[in-house]
Amino acid sequence: MKAFKYLSIALLAAAMTACKYDVKPESLYLSEQQVEQQVADGQIYHINDFLDKFMTEEGNYLSDTSLYRSRATNGDGIYLFSIDTLPSSGPGIYIRGRVSTDDFGGNFYKALVIQEIVDGKQQNLRLSIDMGSASGMFPRGQELLIRCNGLAIGRYSNQPQLCVPSYNNNTNSQNAEQKVGWTPGRIPSPICRKQFMHVGTPDESKLQYDKVTIAECIANYKDIVAARKVDGRLVVIENIWFNGKCYDNGELKDCVHYNPADNTGNPEVANSLADVFAPTTNNIGYPQTRCITDASGKCLSVSSSEYAKYAHYYIPYENVNGSIVYGTYKGSIRGVLGYYMDNAGKVPGQSNWAITICDLGDLDLKKGDGIKWVPEEWVK
Amino acid sequence: MKKTLFFLLALLGASLSISAQQTSPMTEAHSSTTRLVGKIINEDGEPITNGAIVTLGNQNISTTANDRGEFTLSYLEPMDEEVIIEARGFISNIVMVQLISGQTNDMGAITLYTDLAREAQEEVLLNLVEADLNDDEGKSQSVSSASSASQDVFNTTTSFAWSTGRYRNRGYENYYEKNYINGLAFNTAERGTFNFSSMGGLNDASRNKDVVNGIEASNFTFGGIGNSTNYLMDASRYAQGWKVGVAGTNRQYKGRVNATYASGPLNNGWSFIAQIAWRYSPYINTKGIIGEGIAYNSGGYFLSAQKDWQNGHRLSLITFGAPTERGQSGAVTQEVYDLTGSINYNPYWGYCGGKVRNSRIVRSYDPTAIVSYEWQIDPQQRLRAAVGYHYAWYSNSALTFYNAPDPRPDYYRNLPSFLYDGQLDANGQLIVHDNTSQHNPLGKENPDGSIAELSYNGNVVGHSMDMETYKTLTDLWKARDNKTTQIDWDGLYAANQASNKSGKSSASYMQERRHNDIQEAIINVNYINSKFNHLKITAGLDAKYAQGIHYKTVDDLLGGKQWIDVDPFAERDIKDLATNIGLTQEGIENVKQNDIFHHNQAKKEGDRFGYNYYMNMIQANVWAQNEWNFNEFDVYYALKIAYSSMQRSTTMVNGRAWYLATLNPDNAEKYLGKSASSILAGKEQSLYMGLSHEFIDPAFKLGFTYKINGRNRLKFNAIAQTEAPLARDAYVSSRVHDRVIDPIYTHDKAKNLKDYYAASQKIVGGDLTYDFNFPIVRGRITAFYTQFFNGSEMNGYYDDQARTFVNQTLTGINRVHRGIEAAAAVKLGTYFTLTGAVNAADYRYTSNANSITSAENGMAVCSRMDGTSIYEVTDSVYMKGLHVANGPQLTASLKLSFFHSKMWFADITCTYYDRNYLDIAPSRRMKSLYTGKMEDGTPVNGSYRMVSSGVDQNYINAVLLNDAGEMILDKFGTPQLAYPYNQVACQESLVSSNVWNRFIFDASVGKLIYLPNRQQISINLSVTNFTNNTKFKTGGYQQARLARGNLQGKTEQEGNSVLMPNAWKFPSKYYYAWGANFYLSLTYKF
Repeated sequence: MKAFKYLSIALLAAAMTACKYDVKPESLYLSEQQVEQQVADGQIYHINDFLDKFMTEEGNYLSDTSLYRSRATNGDGIYLFSIDTLPSSGPGIYIRGRVSTDDFGGNFYKALVIQEIVDGKQQNLRLSIDMGSASGMFPRGQELLIRCNGLAIGRYSNQPQLCVPSYNNNTNSQNAEQKVGWTPGRIPSPICRKQFMHVGTPDESKLQYDKVTIAECIANYKDIVAARKVDGRLVVIENIWFNGKCYDNGELKDCVHYNPADNTGNPEVANSLADVFAPTTNNIGYPQTRCITDASGKCLSVSSSEYAKYAHYYIPYENVNGSIVYGTYKGSIRGVLGYYMDNAGKVPGQSNWAITICDLGDLDLKKGDGIKWVPEEWVK
Repeated sequence: MKKTLFFLLALLGASLSISAQQTSPMTEAHSSTTRLVGKIINEDGEPITNGAIVTLGNQNISTTANDRGEFTLSYLEPMDEEVIIEARGFISNIVMVQLISGQTNDMGAITLYTDLAREAQEEVLLNLVEADLNDDEGKSQSVSSASSASQDVFNTTTSFAWSTGRYRNRGYENYYEKNYINGLAFNTAERGTFNFSSMGGLNDASRNKDVVNGIEASNFTFGGIGNSTNYLMDASRYAQGWKVGVAGTNRQYKGRVNATYASGPLNNGWSFIAQIAWRYSPYINTKGIIGEGIAYNSGGYFLSAQKDWQNGHRLSLITFGAPTERGQSGAVTQEVYDLTGSINYNPYWGYCGGKVRNSRIVRSYDPTAIVSYEWQIDPQQRLRAAVGYHYAWYSNSALTFYNAPDPRPDYYRNLPSFLYDGQLDANGQLIVHDNTSQHNPLGKENPDGSIAELSYNGNVVGHSMDMETYKTLTDLWKARDNKTTQIDWDGLYAANQASNKSGKSSASYMQERRHNDIQEAIINVNYINSKFNHLKITAGLDAKYAQGIHYKTVDDLLGGKQWIDVDPFAERDIKDLATNIGLTQEGIENVKQNDIFHHNQAKKEGDRFGYNYYMNMIQANVWAQNEWNFNEFDVYYALKIAYSSMQRSTTMVNGRAWYLATLNPDNAEKYLGKSASSILAGKEQSLYMGLSHEFIDPAFKLGFTYKINGRNRLKFNAIAQTEAPLARDAYVSSRVHDRVIDPIYTHDKAKNLKDYYAASQKIVGGDLTYDFNFPIVRGRITAFYTQFFNGSEMNGYYDDQARTFVNQTLTGINRVHRGIEAAAAVKLGTYFTLTGAVNAADYRYTSNANSITSAENGMAVCSRMDGTSIYEVTDSVYMKGLHVANGPQLTASLKLSFFHSKMWFADITCTYYDRNYLDIAPSRRMKSLYTGKMEDGTPVNGSYRMVSSGVDQNYINAVLLNDAGEMILDKFGTPQLAYPYNQVACQESLVSSNVWNRFIFDASVGKLIYLPNRQQISINLSVTNFTNNTKFKTGGYQQARLARGNLQGKTEQEGNSVLMPNAWKFPSKYYYAWGANFYLSLTYKF
């Protein structure tokens, strides 16, 4: 029987003409020489130069009055939302940067941040893309050359991002009057594949993390316009701890919503679940905030999506004789600094700043005795 | 139950016994000795050995010629008689003779000419069948039966000419077409279908066959509602000599060569035949032509040796196989066909390192060995027995991905139509919001200042859609941009290389190979006894042990280092799993594993992963048939008792199975089988056995033929049977767990007959035929009616509400197949024949179906008002009144044939197709969607009772209500929906609105050239669809996925999921008939 089987396999193999595909690794990404050839029809802009040149205050997408205009400004001439389309023809408009985010943890969704180092300083830009699990294609540390022609540069809640124009029709959404209208939308996947080019292979070590304090994060960028160029900055903050508070040092019980798994809507159940990173918002989708603090006592929000894989993990705490005690685990956090602002909170305040981690691996916390914090899942 | 079976068996036994007593010895005196003898030969003068049938048109008597082509008819009435001679593969001949009383009238040698057209057509048919194997589940549209070409005028016409339209015999699934080889049942036990590619290219191997039309009496099987074909591969059936051939075509393969040698019967009693064949196509990189992105490479061999002994014994040894590697093409949405401008667009290929590469490569090889024995005990008794074994390797590759974007080019979000999402109002119209022509540059203002309609590429673009984005996407598709419209292989390699460099544990992309092998050992015994006057007794026994072998292997890591064997969906949803029942950390780790005893295994190329299970099946049946033949009428009846069993076993314990068993500890065996307790105790085994399920199914059929006269007959056939579910339809998700559909559990614990047959399908059917056979015209008219009860079906799809892949089992499906089929062949002078055929039928569901939906990853599908999770959603599906999507239900054709005795032939056929319907998705017709409540009264999310307008998010009731607030129902009891929601649920007609596009024209021409020394060359050219009708849809299916949206701030109990008005978000996918295609062959015999 075995002989028959082996003979059969041999016959099968003989009949097949196995086709080998010779895919040369170097053909898969651009070398510096190829980058030069690629951009010969135009020029590469540094990210901040790109923003300065193409991102206007009002945007160029709509010139008349629209819903988005009314939500964009309180009359001070500062627009939190904008769209500037980029010419689809003519000289090539390129930017390049290294991906600084990873969406495996689920805290980034259909978005990347790229980082460019210019004169030793970070320049960052968000990319809004219609591509789930984009890190599988563009992992952290991968440098990209992006041809921006035909795309748009816009701001969503004051956060600049490479995008395409999109119209939000969801009039039933929370604060719909502020949301409905033209908005920076996700770049369709085929366009990403066409216009986002790998430059070299990923190298996370080339990402630059700025070591900052919470005070520096929240104090230095009160200017709304200036803050735009700080959005997306990759930072490390040391000597921090979770203080058991949320948004603007508020009480957890006041900002929790629902059971992270079931949607009973029972406030009593909800309150008991407040101490996880991100209870559900029941599809509203806004990120949840948990405060970290340091010796200054100031709060910086750690922003987590309810869809993050770690959303249902407890924030670091210690059970001391049946009581929940925060702050015993201290250490560092690394992530992307963001400046999210809606119309209601237009006046800059410390709570508008948040750090977004990719996953719990971005937390390095220990007790005083050196015991490392081990994430603990919520259970029913 | 057992008593009933015993009773049925006893009844048949008694009938046999009685019949034997009544018809014992041949005592009837015969007054006449008038005889007719003759010998039937082919154009080479060699006897036709495949059982030619000789019929006397006036006296209504027929006989079958022996292996030497000789026949004898005795006890005839002296008269002028019309002798009709028919043989499979040959053109029928009619000869007038004068029968002289009391004499042996010798017709001498009667020549039948090879039916060259049929020979060419059968090769084309095999090609079509393989093209239909694109669907791994075997549910795609299929040729009714490549082998059903009998001498019956209707079948002769329909088996080829109607194959383009994917006509199916009486609308039955292809597993009702039973195929045998030397008496052995070769429809596979697991899927019920016959693997035509096992003898692909080996047209000589499949040349000789017995065909039984539908329910009629058979001498090799009990049969069923569909046709039965018995391929006879004994070496002596093939004419002596060499035959070599070459062929070219523009279909799946481009060229074919073959060579056959048959020894014919040798003096020492031995006969041999050997055939080899090779079919080939390089990768086709021309976009828009038939077979784009496909390569084809197939060899084939057929060897048969036969030994005849003088005392009536015959032994045959047969082996064949056709190792094949071929690329596949896939169905896409109409939008994609329109954008690419071609019905031949294939989403499965792309450029890899500059070369064309297909992601769906089928490798198949089904080596088969048969030993058959025949004993002609005496002229009236024959015993046949055969044993066979085959091991069918069948695997198909596919791309898979882990934490990476979907690589399919035709993924719905990659298409311009996705930009319409959220841009449609409650009436399905594009909303009008902020817009100026300035920003939609193709739009213009009307003279009155209003905004003109914007359009691009013939589509109206929404005023709140960005024209530039729409235009860019559209242009990429229309230009057939390689990165957009084909698989970006280099991009996948780049992603994997990046993953390697960034230290990720698993490759982002991988080409996996899904193996669905099966091995079967088959035996058959068949006994025929014609000793008794007027009575022919046939009995048989079939038995089969089969094992389906299912696993995946890493086919190509695409430059990645390794693949971690976890389920990405389970990993993604782990939060829900953990929080649902509060698993421990270790338990949570288990859930995402494909093998809980081997966590996070790193897999390299060639390694098995994902699943590795076996489906063990035993099938056996005994049957007996009595045929009574009298001058005025014939009658037959037959009984069959079938036993079948199925049992799954696996070497890997899937984490989701473990999770479900943990969730339902009282029913752990349902998911983990017999090994449940040891698995839950953490004991590892080499093999885990599932529960065994056994069935006994009886079948009874009978028929009556009234011979009005020698030229006119009236036939009636009827059948009643039960049928155990096929293994493929019995398991909810056999890749994951041992769970079977609920009726099987009812059956397993049955204490009464009703429960015993809870899972079996019941079939009752019959047909009434008027047969006519005149010198000028012959044909038949048949009315048929078949009712199926309690059928079952499996579906799997991604559910937007559960946000995961779900399995849906349907049971209790009733349907009726009824209609009329008619055909007539009229001789128009010496050279021409006009043949017409029509099938007017109605295949329709007559009941709603019961449905159970569960998530493949084990998570809850939804929850009740009290917040408790629902893991299996029980509901019913509005199926009643829908058409069964099994090919056209109205087909008619006219064929004009030309044949000249100098061996020229030609024909032209025009076929009209109508009443062809799209296969519906049950998920779109769930009762709860219409009523807002499941069977148990639980409110559901996302029903048609509360849908979102998509514009201002005002909820409307898409179910139409009358003034009293009651749902408006159609005549089948299905609630009616408002536009555009009715588009979501309706069953679409596939028939073109342009009548001209419903016609397909075929033609063929051929010539046989005789050379000295019995050599000959034949040339055939067959052109199908020569008018190049590219608007002809042959089939398609609705996507099961529904467009849903989430309501912000609402709980599930409040209804946080609504259906969106974008009825076109997940549109149907279609199959088109090939455009003009040809097959040119040249054969040399010597």
